[in-house]
Amino acid sequence: MTSATTTPNVPSAPNSPAAASAAAPARRAGRGGRPSDRGTGPGAWLFLAPFGLFYLAFLLGPTIWMFVASFFNTSLVHRGLGSFAGLDNYVEMFSRADFWSSLWHTLQFTLYTVPPLVILAFVFAVLTNRLQRGQWFFRLAFFLPFILPSATISLIWVFIFTPATGLFASVQSLLGFTPGSGILADPKSAMVGVAIATVWWTIGFNFILYLAGLQDIPRELYEAAAVDGASTWQQIRHVTIPLLRRTTTLVILLQIIASLKIFDQVYLMTNGGPGISTQVSLGLITGTAFTDNRIGAASAASVLLFIIIVAIAVIREIVERVAARRDQEA
Amino acid sequence: MTTTTATTSTPGRAGRSGVGGAISAAAPPARPSGAGISGRTFTIVTWIVLVVFAVIWLIPSLFALKTSLSENGVAALGANEILSHWYPTLHSYSTLFGAGDIWNWYLASAITGIITTLLTVVFASMAAFALSRMRFRGRTTVMLMILLGIMIPSQVLIVPIFEMLGAANLLNTYWAVIFPQVPAVISVFIFKQFFDGIPRELEEAARIDGAGLWKIYWSVIMPLSRPVIAAVAILTFVGVWNNLLLPLFVLTNPNLMTIPVGLATVQGSFGQRFADIQAGAILAALPLVLLYLVFQRQIVEGVAGTGLKG
Amino acid sequence: MRVRTPLGSAGRRPVGRRTLLGSTAVLGASAALAGCGGPLGAGLVGGEVAPETLVFWNLFGGGDGGRMQDMEKVYEKAHGGSSSLQATTFAWGNPYYSKVTLATVGNQPPDVAVAHLTRAKPLWDGGILDPISEDDLASVGLKTSDFNEKAWSAQVTDGKNIAIPLDTHPFVMFFNHEVMDKAGLLESDGSLTDLSGVDTFESALEEIKGVTGSEALTSANVSETATPWRLFWSLYNQYEDATPFLSDGGAKITVDEDIYTDITARLQKWVEKGWLNRGIDYAGSQTQMATGKAGIYLQGEWEISTFQSIEGLKFGMAPIPTLFDRPAAQADSHTFILPKKDRTPEQLTQALGFIKSMLTESMTWAEGGHVPAYLPTYDSAEYKKLTPQSDYASAAENAYYDDAAWYGGSGSTFEATVGAQLALVQQGSTTPEGALSAIRGQLQTYLDPPSPL
Repeated sequence: MTSATTTPNVPSAPNSPAAASAAAPARRAGRGGRPSDRGTGPGAWLFLAPFGLFYLAFLLGPTIWMFVASFFNTSLVHRGLGSFAGLDNYVEMFSRADFWSSLWHTLQFTLYTVPPLVILAFVFAVLTNRLQRGQWFFRLAFFLPFILPSATISLIWVFIFTPATGLFASVQSLLGFTPGSGILADPKSAMVGVAIATVWWTIGFNFILYLAGLQDIPRELYEAAAVDGASTWQQIRHVTIPLLRRTTTLVILLQIIASLKIFDQVYLMTNGGPGISTQVSLGLITGTAFTDNRIGAASAASVLLFIIIVAIAVIREIVERVAARRDQEA
Repeated sequence: MTTTTATTSTPGRAGRSGVGGAISAAAPPARPSGAGISGRTFTIVTWIVLVVFAVIWLIPSLFALKTSLSENGVAALGANEILSHWYPTLHSYSTLFGAGDIWNWYLASAITGIITTLLTVVFASMAAFALSRMRFRGRTTVMLMILLGIMIPSQVLIVPIFEMLGAANLLNTYWAVIFPQVPAVISVFIFKQFFDGIPRELEEAARIDGAGLWKIYWSVIMPLSRPVIAAVAILTFVGVWNNLLLPLFVLTNPNLMTIPVGLATVQGSFGQRFADIQAGAILAALPLVLLYLVFQRQIVEGVAGTGLKG
Repeated sequence: MRVRTPLGSAGRRPVGRRTLLGSTAVLGASAALAGCGGPLGAGLVGGEVAPETLVFWNLFGGGDGGRMQDMEKVYEKAHGGSSSLQATTFAWGNPYYSKVTLATVGNQPPDVAVAHLTRAKPLWDGGILDPISEDDLASVGLKTSDFNEKAWSAQVTDGKNIAIPLDTHPFVMFFNHEVMDKAGLLESDGSLTDLSGVDTFESALEEIKGVTGSEALTSANVSETATPWRLFWSLYNQYEDATPFLSDGGAKITVDEDIYTDITARLQKWVEKGWLNRGIDYAGSQTQMATGKAGIYLQGEWEISTFQSIEGLKFGMAPIPTLFDRPAAQADSHTFILPKKDRTPEQLTQALGFIKSMLTESMTWAEGGHVPAYLPTYDSAEYKKLTPQSDYASAAENAYYDDAAWYGGSGSTFEATVGAQLALVQQGSTTPEGALSAIRGQLQTYLDPPSPL
C-alpha cells in the first residue's frame, strides 16, 4: 500500500488516506513515545531556533497582536495602538450588515463550488484511473490550472466573461441563450461567475486527492466484487464510493476552509462588486484596514474569522481522528 | 506496504511508490473477464466523457494564449473576431518585454520565491530533525505549537503582519514577502514524517565516528531526504510565486512588485489592451508551467501529501 | 516506470550545501548592490530604486490617461528622456488611494501623485501629505494668484496648501443639437435658451419629450452610484439654505431633509412624467442622447471625448441650469499632491518643477473637457477659442465639492453608499424616506467610531 504523502517512502501512517493527515504524526508525538536515544536540551533548541523565531515573529506574534489591536482604535496612519475601544469594534462588526453579508457570500461561494468540485473531481479521477494509457494528458488538462497564479486565472476569466463579445457570451448565443449584461456585472450572478472560474482553477487539487485515494483501494476488493457478479457501476457504487468517503469528507472540509479564506479571485474579478454583492470576509477586512485605515476594527473582524476557521480546523482534526480510529478497529 | 528506506539509493522504487509515479504506472483496477461487455462500453464512455471535459478544461488557457497572439485591435472586438483571425503576432509579448516593468516583476517573484524556499527548507528541516531525533524538555509543547500553527490561517493575519512589517521598517522590501511565508508549519510536519521513517542504523556509523548532531543532520539525513526536499521546495516556490494577498499590500512600489501583483494593479493608460493583458497573464504563469512540466511528479505528490494546503 | 526527475538525478552532492552557498551568494550580492540602486538592491536592503528618477502616480485611464501621457512626454523631453520620469497608473477610486496611503506608510511613496481634491483632505488628515509653502511655489515660479480661486481656497486646509489643483471638473449638461433645435430651445446663434427656473426647465423637458418620443433627459443610475450622487448634490446646492450633508469631518449627517425630499420627490416625478429615465447604465445613457432618444445628458465634462468621437453628432455643453435659488454644480478637482517623505531641497524642486510642467501643459488637459485651474491657461486666447469647453467654464465658479469626511470624496465609500440609494429612488424601487433611512443606517458604521485619521 502506498501511503500517499509528500514523501514517497515514508513508512508511517500506514492507514492514512491519500491526503496525509497531520494527525498521524501528531498522535504519535503526543504519546511522546519516540525512542530518542540521543540529543538533549540545548542542541535541540538550537535546531528549533531559526524556525521557531520565524514562527514567533510571523505567526504567533501577529495572532496575539491581532487580538490586542481588536480592542483599540488602531489606525493605519498613526503609530501605536490608539485609544482603547473596549468591545466597540466587536459590537460594530456584529451590527454591520456588510459583515454578515460577507459571511453569507462565503457560504454562498461554498455552496456553489463544493458540489462540482466534489462530483466532477470524483468522476474525472475514477475515469482517469481506469485508463491504461493517456493518463498524463488528463492529469495535465485537469491539474495544470491549479498551479496557475490567481492573477492569471482572473485575467483569463474576466476576459472570457466580457459582456456581449466575450467567449462566454459567444457560447451562450451558440446555445441559444441571450447573453445579458455580463455574468460579473449582475449582482445576482457575479458570484456564480467567480465560482465557475474557481471550479476550473482548483478542481485539479481534488482530482489528485481522489486519484491518490483510488490508488489505496486494494485491487482484490474489485476482484471479489466481480466474482460476486457486480457490474462496473456496482463496483463503483459499493466499493469505490464508500472507500473514498474519507477523501470526500476531507475535500469538503478543505473547501469550506478555503472558502472562508477566499480573497484573490473576488478581489481581482469583481473587487467585491457590483455593490457589495460578492464582498467576502477577507475583502471586508482588507478594505476596513487599508481603505478605511481602521486597523483596530479590521483586527476585530480578523479575530472573528480566525475563530471560525480554527473551529472548523478543529472539527476536521476530530473527524480525521475518529475516522482513523474506526479504520484501525475495522 | 512500502517500507523502503534508503530512498536516494533506489530511485526506481521511489518513483514507483509515490502517488504521481503510481498514477502514471498503475494499471486500472483489474476487471475479470466476466464484466467484459459492460466493461468495454464503460471504457468507451470513459474516453468520451474524459475527452469532452478535458477539452472544456483546456479551452480557457488556449483561448487566453490565442488572444495574446492577436492584435489588440482584434482582441477588443471579442471572441468571434479573435478566433476568426488565424495569423499569430508576437506584438503583445514584445510590448511587454519592451516596457521593462515585467522584468522587475519577474525579478521580484524569482528572488522572493528562491529565498523563501531556501529558508523554509533549511529551517523547517532543522526543526523537524530536532523533533524526530532528539528528546528534550518541552518537546510536547513544541509539538502542540506546531499543531496549532497548522491550524492558524495565515491569510487572516494580513492586518497584524502588515503592522509588524511596518514597525520593523520592512515594507516595500522583498523581505516583507519572504519572512511571513517562512514559517510554513506544514513543511515541518512533512519533513518530520519523512525523517521518522529513516532508520537509525544509518546514523550509527557516523555516530561511532564521533559525528555531532549537525553533521548527522547535514551529512546523513539531508542527503537521504532529497525527494522530500524537492517536494517541499517546489511547493513552497509555487506558493510564493502565486501569493497575491501579502505582496498586494506590503509591496506598493511598482518596481518591486511580484508579477501577479504588478499585473493586477498597474494599468496601461491607453484604453483596454486585451491582447497585452492576456499576454501578461500567460507570462505570469509561464515559469510555473515549465516548472510543472519538469517536476510533475514532485508537484503532484506534494499536493496529494499536503492535504492541508489551501 | 518513471525514474527520477532532474532535481533528484542532478543531486550527486548534497543539495543543501549548494543551496546554502547559493543563498550566501545572493546575500553577498545584495550587499554589493545596496549602493547601486536598482530594484534588486532596493528590494533587499530598502531605499529608492532610482533616486534621480521622478516617480509619479496617477489614476487616469481612457482619454484622460492618454492626455496625461502626452503631458508627461513633454516633461521627459525637457529633462533628459524617459529615464527622468517613472509614471504609473493604478485602478481608479478606493484602490488607488489605498495604494498611496500604504506606500507612504511603507516609506516608498511616489514623489508626486494625483489626488482628487476631496480625497487630498483625508490624506492630509492622516498625515500622508507634505504641505507646500508659498516659498516652495515661488521656487518654480508659481503663486496663489495663478489658480482658480474656488479650487485654490478649497484645497487650503489647516492654513496650509495641501494640493495644487490642475483642473475643476464640474457636473454639466450635454445636449443634442438637433433635438433641442426641434424643441425650439435654441437661440438663433445656436446657443441654448435660458432654462433657469424649475418651471421653465420642466416645460422644456415636456417639449423635448415631444421631439424624442422617449425621454427628455438621461442620467445613468444602473451599476452606477457616482452619477446619481453628482446629480443630487448639484441640485441640492442650488437651494440657498442647503446645509452640508456631512459635518464634523464625517461624524454627523446634517443633510436638510426638506430639500432632500424636495429633490428626490421631484426626480421621481420626472421619471413618472417620462422625462427622466427610470433605469439606465452609464453607456446606455450616452447612447440615448447621442441617438436623439433624449435631448439632455447629465454627466461630468470629461465625456466630451466620447461624443466628439461620434461621427455626425452635433452636441453642445452648458452649466447645469439654475432651477432653484442659485447656480450650483457638483464638482471635484484633480490636484497634485506631495506624499510625505524626506526630501532634499533638490528633490522638492524637482517635484515642483514636474507639477509646473504639467500645469503649463494643461491646455492638453483642457481639451479633454476639464476646466483648467491654472489661470494662465484658463485666460489664454487658445482656451477661449476652444468650444464647447469654454461654454461651460463658468460652472467651475459655482462648483460644490463633496463635504469633508474621512470616508468621503470622489469614488469613496460615502459616494457609493448614498449614490446607490439615490439610484434606487430614481428607479422607483424605494421611496425618498426609505432611501434616507437606509443611508443613515449604512453610514452609521462610519459615524460612530472615531476617525482613524
